[in-house]
This record gives sequence, C-alpha cells and structure tokens, in this order.
Amino acid sequence: MTGSYLFRLLCLSMASFFLVDLALGAVLFLLAPGAIRLSERLRPQLAARLLLLLRLAPAGLSLLMVAGLLAPSYLWLEPRAATEPIGWVCLAAAALGVAVWSLSITRALRAAGRSLRHIRHCQRTARKTWLGGEAAPVWLMEDPAPLVMLAGVLRSRLVISRKVVSALSAEQLAAVLRHERAHSRSRDNFKRLLVLLAPGVLPFFRGFSRLEQAWARVAEWAADDFAAAGDSHRSLTLAAALVRVARLGAAPPPPVLVTSLMANGIDLSARVDRLLHFVPAAAKPGRIARLLSGGAGVLMGACVIALMAQPVTLRAAHEFLEALIR
Amino acid sequence: MRFLKSIPVEQTSPSQPPLGHLEATVMDLLWERGESNVHDVVQRLHRPLAYTTVMTTLDRLFKKGLLDRRKSARAFLYSPRWSRMEWEQKRAGEFVAGFLAGPQPAGELLISCLVDAVGQQDEALLDELEKKIRLKRKELYQRRKP
Repeated sequence: MTGSYLFRLLCLSMASFFLVDLALGAVLFLLAPGAIRLSERLRPQLAARLLLLLRLAPAGLSLLMVAGLLAPSYLWLEPRAATEPIGWVCLAAAALGVAVWSLSITRALRAAGRSLRHIRHCQRTARKTWLGGEAAPVWLMEDPAPLVMLAGVLRSRLVISRKVVSALSAEQLAAVLRHERAHSRSRDNFKRLLVLLAPGVLPFFRGFSRLEQAWARVAEWAADDFAAAGDSHRSLTLAAALVRVARLGAAPPPPVLVTSLMANGIDLSARVDRLLHFVPAAAKPGRIARLLSGGAGVLMGACVIALMAQPVTLRAAHEFLEALIR
Repeated sequence: MRFLKSIPVEQTSPSQPPLGHLEATVMDLLWERGESNVHDVVQRLHRPLAYTTVMTTLDRLFKKGLLDRRKSARAFLYSPRWSRMEWEQKRAGEFVAGFLAGPQPAGELLISCLVDAVGQQDEALLDELEKKIRLKRKELYQRRKP
C-alpha cells in the first residue's frame, strides 16, 4: 500500500463525509421546525430521544456511509498501483471535511477540559455527604451561589450548595435530587458531549442550534417528569422547589458538559406551568412492544449491512468515488 | 427592553428629536393604519382637532425624518419611514449609547438601573409563579378532602 493510495483514501473519505453530511444536514435543517413541533406533542422522554437521534443522524449516517460502504469499496476495487490525480473539488471538499471535524473535536475537547477542571474544583471545595435518602453521595459545597448540578460525563456526580439545602424543605430537596438523578440515568452529560462532537453543516455554521435547544428543553422536561413520578403532589413540590431556588439568585453559568437545575432560566415559567398542569403520563410501551421495536431496529440494521456488503452496491459506491476524485 | 420602552418620549437622547403627545398619537395611528392623508388622520383621532393642527403635526414629523410623503390628487399621503420596532430599537439604542458615552458613573448607573429593572421583573414573575403554586396546592387539597 503506497502513501499516495492511502492519501487518496483519506481525501476521498473526508470529501465524501463532508458531502453526505452536508446533504443530510440540509435536509435536517429543513425538517427541524416540523420535528420540533412534533416533539411538543410527544412524551418528553420520547421527544428527547427523537430530537437527539435527528441531531446525530447526519454525522452518524455519513460516518456509516464512509466507513461501511465507501472506504471498503475503495479498498476492494481500487487498484493499488493506480496513480490517479486528485481533482480540486475533491481536495476542497476534503479540506472542508477536515475543518468540520477539527472544529467539532476541538470544541468537544475544550468542553471536556472545562468540565474536568470544574469537577476538580468541586473535589477541592466540596465534601461528600448523603442527603434526602439518596443512595449515591452528594457533593455539598459552601458556595454563596445557589448550585444544583450534575457534573461528569461518564461518572456523574451531584453537586449542591449548602444555600440550596438550607432553603428547601426535605420534600423539595428530595424532588430536586430525583430530578438530577433522572439526568444521570439518561446520561444527559454524555449526550451533550456527543452533540458537541457531531460536526455541523459547514465549518463555521453548525445549523442545528434550534434542534439542540429543543432537545435540552425536553430533556429538562423528561427529568421533571421522572422526578414527579406520575404524582401530582410531587409535581407541585418540584415546581415549588424550582421557584425557591430561583429566588436564591442567579448562579454562574455552568460548563457546557454540566447539567444544572436552573440552566435555562428563561424556561422556568414554562417548566412550572407544565408541572402545575400535570397530567399523568400515558402508559409506557410494555416489554413486548419494546422488544418488538428493538427487534425491528436490529433487523433493519442487518438489512442495511447486508445491502452494503453486496458487490453491486460496492461497485456503485466506487463509481461515485471515481466521479468525486476527478 | 420593557424598561426602555417605558421611558417617556420626551427623555430620548438629544440626537433623536423628542415626540410630543400629539406626534406620538399620530405616529401610533400611522403605524396601525399605514399610509394616510391629513383628512384620514383627523377622522381617526379620538379627540376633535382642527385640520390645520393635524396638517402641521404631520409636516413636523416629516421634517423630523419620521414620515415619508407623496402627493396624490392634490393631497399628501404620509407613511412611517420606519416600522414601530425599528423606531423603538433606534430610540433605545441612541438612548443607551448617549448614556454610555457620558462619564464613567453614568454608564455604571445605567447598567445598575437595567439590572434592577430585570431583577424586579424576575421578582414579579416569581411572585406570580408562587401564587399559581399556592392556588394549585389549595385545589389539590380540596380535591383530596372527602
């Protein structure tokens, strides 16, 4: 395998990733308003899954196309000895592909670094304690700001300031802790990292900010619903806790990979209204329904892989690469 | 921005000509109804005013650069040069710029006033939310009572 053979593979991979991601991103950009409207009619947990899936779809599908179809077709069908020049369109697309990936990786690494520094700061200043019958420890901080947050991407830790603990009743504190535990269960900080890692449409135009905001909003709602646990009294207690914490003043904005109880202060009114007009959630899909939908997903995935492994598909992909490199 | 909108029109910055009460009413009317002549404006005003008074007011607004006009069948048709939002943004922007261009304490004073106003609005919102929660709690309590 020569260097130029590998260089062409790299160029073609980056260029085709950029073009497929751009096309899918443009489709998603057009579909996003409709998807956001649809998500408002769904259960928050389902809506959060849908919006996250849509946000990650362009990058995920583009990666699948490149790694599962285009690169194998190149390796299988491209003669090793061929010395084909690379056209400027392919080079420009590859450069843009490198740029979108570099920017998103830098963004994710910077956010992870900030999150790590924040955790270290918490470790230095907080002490571990057990609150409100919680099984996992909580980090209690002597901070003048009203802090309630979930820090850590893979191993999340609940951080709370004494100011909040003193201001809330035992019941309200339990509701707030349940809310944060819901974020921990659904791995929202890790999902935030995935969103940061997923490249945007163009190097300096991500293009999905509305979708990302809508996801963050329904993820909060889903955590609220988990904390309410289908009980209107708990729902009311959480609403009261939110207002009580808001009264304590503004907390400094947390790092991107940290989930905060009051992160989106503008949404407070909407969240409280939702909790007050609490309607017990419709029954969740049963185990059989979940198994069926999971099975359908696996079957669909297997079909796609089988289709991608067909010689005719690989040949078509190789023809696309030949057209792209000219 | 609600705070800025509540500033009386007379307090606008020196670069932006202040509006009198009648001028502000006429501007409101034109923003609402669009292009109108003097007669239309006289008809739509809530208080009876002489034709010449309204004509002079419209002419003054035109000279201040707030209105455009074109001749149609021996009468002028007046229309606002900016939308209401553009005008309010311009006014707020010039007001803030004028304040910040002043000595250091003036700028700090404005920022502190803005923070206070936002804080007061937040307090009002939280009071409102707390009231809703109290009402809902009462409702739940009554529903549970046999």
